Amino acid sequence: MIRDYYNRHALDEKLRGAPRPAGVNHLAIGHRQAVAMVLAHAGEEDTVQQVLSSATEFTVRFSAPGEWLVVSESDTSEGLQRRIDAFCAGRAYVVDQSEARVLFRLSGPSTHRILAKGVGLDLHPAAFATGASANALCGHIAVNLARTGDDTFELIAPRSFAESLFDDLMAMGREYDLTAAFAG
Amino acid sequence: MASLITCPHCGVRPKEEFSIRGDASLVRPAPTASDEAWHDYVYVRANPRGRTLEHWQHVAGCRRFLVVERDTFTHEVHSVTDGAVFARENGR
Repeated sequence: MIRDYYNRHALDEKLRGAPRPAGVNHLAIGHRQAVAMVLAHAGEEDTVQQVLSSATEFTVRFSAPGEWLVVSESDTSEGLQRRIDAFCAGRAYVVDQSEARVLFRLSGPSTHRILAKGVGLDLHPAAFATGASANALCGHIAVNLARTGDDTFELIAPRSFAESLFDDLMAMGREYDLTAAFAG
Repeated sequence: MASLITCPHCGVRPKEEFSIRGDASLVRPAPTASDEAWHDYVYVRANPRGRTLEHWQHVAGCRRFLVVERDTFTHEVHSVTDGAVFARENGR
């Protein structure tokens, strides 16, 4: 059987049924965002960080020293890559990850309690404020976790772990009636 | 086992995010060193009771190699340094 992986979302099979209306606690799966990994050249880490954080066209997620994930809701993957290249002017390597990562957006009043079941990070706003991001384990899966609002978190996971992470998140959120659907 | 490690890049994290990569106090012998020196470096390990230096890799976080100084008896963690910084400070 030949499958066209390129045109198929990793969670198509999980979310195939008729969508349930979004509940109070909702898990939206990103469908069209572009994700790129940026690795600063040795010695250029601080410059690249300043340049990236001054941009308003995309959001930057901390991954490791000199390494970031850049997420854009409006650009195509090629467009994002060109945009970052223009910003960094040869000070960083940019690798497109749009097809390799899946973005999960958790929102609702119980999100921090849902995440507490799988993430060993202190998610109190004083320790992990809006805009903060970090690589962390969610269950047994390494994800990039970011707080995008008081009650909104985004998880970026490798595509091959997406189904597993989806099942984990739905189990973690079952007690809070977590619903899931592709983002509109 | 020390259960919380303060990664210099990521903050306080549970030990499940890390992978232990062995003794960090060993110094690689010169390529022309004797067979005994190389044998000791590659195979012989102490099993100390007390303070030890170990390489820990933050595999689920920043993926950096860290040098963790911890006590194998009390489970206390004394210091955590980035591997590159440790190497520079010790002239390796």
